[in-house]
Amino acid sequence: MRALNPQAPLNEEKHRWFLDPKWLIIIAIVGFLLVFQVFPLVYLVFRAFFSTGTFSLEAFKRVYTYPLNWSALTNTVVAATFSMIFGVLIAFPLAWLVGRTNLYGKKFFRTLFVATYMVPPYVGAMAWMRLLNPTVGSMNMFLQKIFNLGSAPFDIYTMGGLIWVLTGFYYPYAFITISRAMEKMDPSLEEASRISGASPLTTLRTITLPMMLPSIVAAALLVFVAAGSCYGIPSIIGVPGQIHTVTTRIIDFVYIGSQEGLTDATTLAVFLMLIANVVLYLSTFSIGKKQYITVSGKSTRPNIVDLGRWRIPITALVIIFALVVVIIPFVTVALSSITVNLGESVFAEGNITWRYWERIFTRKSIINSARNSLVSAVMAATFGLLVSCMMAYLLVRTNIKGKKIPDFMITVGSGTPSVVIALSLIMSMSGKFGINIYNTLTIMVIAYMIKYMMMGMRTVVSALTQISPSLEEASQISGASWLRSMKNVTLPLIAPALVAGWFLIFMPCFYELTMSTLLYSTNTKTLGYELYTYQTYHNQQTASALATAILFTVFGINWLLNKLTDGEFSI
Amino acid sequence: MKKLFMVLCVLVIASTLVFAAGSAEKPKAADGGLSGKLVIYTSMYDDVIEAIDETLEKVFPTIDIEFFYGGTGTLQAKIAAEVAAGKLGCDMLMVADPSYALELKAMGVLQPIMINNAADLAFDYDKEGYWYPVRISNMVLAYNPGKFSKADIPNSFYDFAYDKRVEGMISMSNPLTSGTALDTISALKDKYGYEYFTALGQQKVKIESGSVALTKLETGECKVIMILEESVLQKREMDRSKIEVIYPTDGTIVVPSPIMSINDQWSPNKNSAAAKAVTEWFMSEEGQKNIVKAWMHSVSAKYPTPPYDAIPTKEILKNTIPVDWQATVTLREELRTKFQEAVAKK
Repeated sequence: MRALNPQAPLNEEKHRWFLDPKWLIIIAIVGFLLVFQVFPLVYLVFRAFFSTGTFSLEAFKRVYTYPLNWSALTNTVVAATFSMIFGVLIAFPLAWLVGRTNLYGKKFFRTLFVATYMVPPYVGAMAWMRLLNPTVGSMNMFLQKIFNLGSAPFDIYTMGGLIWVLTGFYYPYAFITISRAMEKMDPSLEEASRISGASPLTTLRTITLPMMLPSIVAAALLVFVAAGSCYGIPSIIGVPGQIHTVTTRIIDFVYIGSQEGLTDATTLAVFLMLIANVVLYLSTFSIGKKQYITVSGKSTRPNIVDLGRWRIPITALVIIFALVVVIIPFVTVALSSITVNLGESVFAEGNITWRYWERIFTRKSIINSARNSLVSAVMAATFGLLVSCMMAYLLVRTNIKGKKIPDFMITVGSGTPSVVIALSLIMSMSGKFGINIYNTLTIMVIAYMIKYMMMGMRTVVSALTQISPSLEEASQISGASWLRSMKNVTLPLIAPALVAGWFLIFMPCFYELTMSTLLYSTNTKTLGYELYTYQTYHNQQTASALATAILFTVFGINWLLNKLTDGEFSI
Repeated sequence: MKKLFMVLCVLVIASTLVFAAGSAEKPKAADGGLSGKLVIYTSMYDDVIEAIDETLEKVFPTIDIEFFYGGTGTLQAKIAAEVAAGKLGCDMLMVADPSYALELKAMGVLQPIMINNAADLAFDYDKEGYWYPVRISNMVLAYNPGKFSKADIPNSFYDFAYDKRVEGMISMSNPLTSGTALDTISALKDKYGYEYFTALGQQKVKIESGSVALTKLETGECKVIMILEESVLQKREMDRSKIEVIYPTDGTIVVPSPIMSINDQWSPNKNSAAAKAVTEWFMSEEGQKNIVKAWMHSVSAKYPTPPYDAIPTKEILKNTIPVDWQATVTLREELRTKFQEAVAKK
């Protein structure tokens, strides 16, 4: 149902404004965000500039003149920029092919490409390390054989390798954004162009592309910030090749443990935060409206472009792409989890074992970590969804002044790099200012909420937007209380969106790595951290088993969701 | 909607099973009056922790012993933060870096424990009882005879950094996180000067953990690695791997890793009775047997059996590169910083 004027306020109460529950809700949410998001970030900036008690750029000078840090800065910007460019170059054609043409297996490809979004990026790093390392990478060796090359064509431990993996894991962000926008775009302009005789390619170039430009820019900037704030991938394949990024340096500094180390980490974090905020501002400024990730509900039927004789070749290309970027890495990780000697083929004599799988289900620390991940992700998703619902109602159904403030804060929270959020929370919530939640699950849940709440909010907001307020009004006119109307009318209608929103927050929290690396304590280790530790210190096969298990869980939940909401849910 | 609710209910119930899995260990009968909880921070590898944990559960069924793993560097950062907050999270500490014991003793957080078989120790220990060596870790070289022959690769720490035949194909642990790696570069700097670090950088050494390095030996991605003897022994025994230890011709670096207890003022569980019992057990012949089973060398002269197929401890001690523990403490920052600078990509 399209609402003609979704901004129509539902009720204009003339009660005393400070007793108005909506105001109380806003104040509660803003209060929470002020204490746990704004204050820590401000303190972080303060600490960077006032580390010696008086305003000084001393810390900045020390940190940025250190060549290792300077190269980390340039590396981060270079890697993020190229990932952004390639990510969009890949995402746009794919989105167009899957959304607007008669490509074979569209639905399957769509799910596959979106699937990468649900997978921890560092799992990809693990896979590519095995595939493209310069001496014995399996893909390298395969290519060498086919093309009769003298040496391995690719080296994963280079900037190129880093960009490749970053692109492979962050292009889905662009794909999803562009896909959604494309779906919502009015196809009549394209139809008009086709009717006037333009070829599909010309239409694409002159109509689709310009119309999509704002969302393409938004998608590009999304990829940029995500790639720049990434920790897992650069730490697994960048650092062995001595390519440091700002995120790995920040965590290095925190691990050095000294006060000076912490200050240096803070200084670098401020840089990252500034870049992210500038980019976020640019993105909002350039597109005006925010991009939503919505529950699918097909509104208009776009004109399907017939690929004609290109149909099969293009499908083949897409299949190869899917194989290389999605399927092969996952299979590699899965195979590593049952291999004893990674130097031999998995099919060699006696090289298959289930020992590592047995291990991940019996080892105490892994079970504890899984439980922690589950608990904190569930809490973050549930509380996050509650806040999202309240915010959605405020944003869509009311005209309260100041409703944009918490919305803005939540958006900024999601654009802030994870490592900055974690660091700021550590520094301000360790008892210095009265609150001490360091080393507890609470601090992790809060960090997760700040980072991922926006996903839930956008989903619920867009669902609510699509429901006309007249339904609720009709219910109220018939005598039902506001609460009853909500329960009987609105809730059932937005239920799929609620489920979707819950899982959109749950999943990244479940396998989260960066923040958990900094915030974990004796009994609050999480799966993401466990995976990273096994991969880096203990045993790669166990890490691969854990990664595969996480993959199955994530895919399983997505499949379940699809069934539950009768196909209505899709990212 | 009903379907939705049903499935959600099932999911919620299923997820509570996860909680059930964790609460299955409650110690039963009283034994020697020991009880309560004991948290041990350690940098021993997870496989080793698991083996020792199982044994400890049988020996001390009434104490709830919990191991927390972290690289030495990580644990040091954690403890520094906890000291600043006023309370430590551990009752005992088993990290790999002996110089850390000196530092903690000076900070006043340790508890002296007098054991009755101190005379059997073949290595230095603190006469006041603040720390004892509990296991011996040896930093050596390793290679894969299935891929390369011993004659074609470096057999000494010096050649490891200077032999151009293995440029780009060597690996070692990170001194920022690994205590034994820190002690190693401290010893090598004493013997060969800071130029050694520069040489390592020019060799394009990969900085990664032992387990990753071992995998690279298996696949042939690395020709020779600097690693702890115990990691190789474990792989040889558990995976029947062909990887072999090279005891460097210019000397092995022997690291007697200490065991320490935190005093009641700082420890979370204030369980000094349990801490004393566990320490005594580790230092006893029984405890050392388990250490050796976990691929490390024993510290007791009374139990000289080496782990798996390693050469006897006495043989190793004939040729070592000594480590100046006190200097390692004072120069820790400098060593780490200079090392990082030297091996960073130019």
